[in-house]
Amino acid sequence: MTLDFQQIYAQLRQIGENASAHKKTLEERRALALRLLETQAAELEALRWKVETARAADPSLRCALPQDEPLDFHTPPPEVLPASIILAADGSQIVPSRHKAAQYSLINVGVIALQPGSDQAPEIFIESELRYDDENELPTESQIALRRDLAERRKLLEVAGRYPGQKISLTDGQLELWGAGDDNETRREFEKSLQDYLRALRTFRQEEIISAGYIDKPAASWLMRLLEVTTLSPDELPGLREHHPLRGVSDVWLMSRLLGAGERSAVFAFQARSAEKYSGEIALHFFYLNVGEARHPAIARVDIPRWVAQDQARLHQLHQTLVTQSRLMGARPFPYLLHRAHEIAVVSQQETAQVDQLLELTLRQNSGELSEVSGKQSAKDLPKRK
Amino acid sequence: MPSYEIGRLLRAGTSGFVAGCAVSQFDAPSFGALVRAPLGADYQVYGLIYDIHIEDDGLVRQLVTAGNISAEVMRDNRERRIVPVEMSVLTVGYEQGGKIFHLLPPRPPLSLDVIYGCDPLELARFTSAGHFGYFRHILRAQDAPMGELLAAHLQQAGQNNPTWREAATREIITLLRDDYPSLMSVLSALSDIA
Repeated sequence: MTLDFQQIYAQLRQIGENASAHKKTLEERRALALRLLETQAAELEALRWKVETARAADPSLRCALPQDEPLDFHTPPPEVLPASIILAADGSQIVPSRHKAAQYSLINVGVIALQPGSDQAPEIFIESELRYDDENELPTESQIALRRDLAERRKLLEVAGRYPGQKISLTDGQLELWGAGDDNETRREFEKSLQDYLRALRTFRQEEIISAGYIDKPAASWLMRLLEVTTLSPDELPGLREHHPLRGVSDVWLMSRLLGAGERSAVFAFQARSAEKYSGEIALHFFYLNVGEARHPAIARVDIPRWVAQDQARLHQLHQTLVTQSRLMGARPFPYLLHRAHEIAVVSQQETAQVDQLLELTLRQNSGELSEVSGKQSAKDLPKRK
Repeated sequence: MPSYEIGRLLRAGTSGFVAGCAVSQFDAPSFGALVRAPLGADYQVYGLIYDIHIEDDGLVRQLVTAGNISAEVMRDNRERRIVPVEMSVLTVGYEQGGKIFHLLPPRPPLSLDVIYGCDPLELARFTSAGHFGYFRHILRAQDAPMGELLAAHLQQAGQNNPTWREAATREIITLLRDDYPSLMSVLSALSDIA
C-alpha cells in the first residue's frame, strides 16, 4: 500500500464539509446563467457587437460567437436520407522512449467506411508507419501527435476517394489542430503541420466531403464565456480576464437542460485567436448535440467548417448521422463508427512490446547499434506481485 | 481429401485442443462433429467437438442494449471484429502411416494448424477402425457433456448405418455397466435420437 489513507481521509472530510456550500454557489451561478440565456437569446446582433468589443479589449478572449440561430435554439434530428458513405478515422502512436534499447516512433491510423443501408460489412483501412532514425533528435510527444492528426486526415481523404456519392467523415476530438508547443522546434513543426492540415481541410471542401470533429462530454465552456461577456458594460470589458461570474457552470450542464433527445443547439463560430487561422469556408464552427435521451442526456460538441455550417442540407445530414450512429451504441451513446475507428487504430501495450522486440531483432541481425534498456525501465518491467 | 476447413488451432494438449474461427466462417462445424488436424504428410489428429462458444466483449454487451441493430453493424461485428468462435475438441485418436489408432496422439497439433471437418467417408473410416476404442476418451472426459456428446456422435456417424449405431450402443452399455448413474444419463440422451 503506497497511499497514506489517513491523509486522504482528512482531505475527504474537508471536501465533504465544503460540498454543500459549493453546491449552493453553483446553483446560484446556474440560475444566473439561465437568466442570461433567456434575456440574451435573441439579441444576436448585440451579442456579436459585444464579442467584437470584448475581443478588442482582450485579444485572448475565447468564447462562442453567435451566428443566425438564437442562443436557446434547439431542433430535433431531421428526417433526411443518410449519406452514401460514412467514414471515421482515429490514430494512435508509440512515442520514442530513451529508456528502450531502440528508440523509434510509430503512428497507426485506422479508417472505417460504412455504406448505410447497404447490408454490407464496413471496410477497414489501416496505415502503420514505423520511423527509426538513430542520428537525429527524437521527435517529442506533441510532434508525434501532430503527425498523427495529419496522417488521419490524409488517410481519410485517400479512402474517401474510393467511394462515390455524398460522404461524411468523422474524427474524434476537436477539428482545430492542437499542440503548438513551447519550444521553437515544436512551434516550427506546428506551423508546417498546420499549413498541411489547412490544405487538407480545403481539399475536403473541394471534394464536398463533410468533415466533423466529435467531442464527447466537452470540458470547454464557450457559451458560458459568451454569457459572462454580456454581464459587463463596455467600460468594464478591460477587466474581462478576471471576470468569471459563471465559474463552474458548464456548457454541458446548460445543454443538458436545453436539448431534448437527439436535438442539436444553434451553430456558433469560435472566437479564439488560435481559430483565426481557419478562415473563409473552413472557418471553424460548432454546435452541441444531445445524443442521449431527454432524461439521460449525453452532450457532445460537434466541430464543423463554415461551408457545412451554412449548408442546411448537409447540416441536417450530419445531425441525423451522428444521432443514428450514437443510438447504435445503446445505453452509452457514442458514434459507433468512431468507436470502431478507435478499436482499429489503438496500439496495445502488447503490440508495442512486440514492435520493440521485432525492431531489436532486426537491428541485431543486421549489425545495427542497440543501446541498453535503462535501469529505470528494467525496474518498471519487473513482475508484479499478484 | 474433400473435407472443409473449419478454423485454426488456438491452443492444444494431448487430450484435446481448441480451434477458433471468425463468426463469418461459422457455418460448418457442429457439436459432436469429427474433425482432424493434419500435422504432416502421414500424421493427423482426430477429435470430437464437445463445446462451441462465442465470447462476448464490452462492445457486444453494449450493442445488445440498443433497440435495433442494422445489418451493417451485425456484419461488422461478425466479419471484421476479432472475436473468434471457439470450438473445444476432445482428442479421440490419430492416423499415422495410413493407419488409424484410437489412442491419444504422440504429439498434439500446433498453434494455427488448420482444422478440417471430416466428411461422411472420413467419419466412417475413423469409426470403423478398431472396436470403438475411442469411446473411452469420451467416457473419461471431465469437461464434456458425455451423454449429449455420445448421442450427437452416434446420430451423425450412424445416420446411414443403423447396424453400426446398434453395435455402438451395445458397446457403451458394456463400458458403463458398472456406472449406473452415467449409463442412465447416456441412455436417456441416446433415447432422444432413437
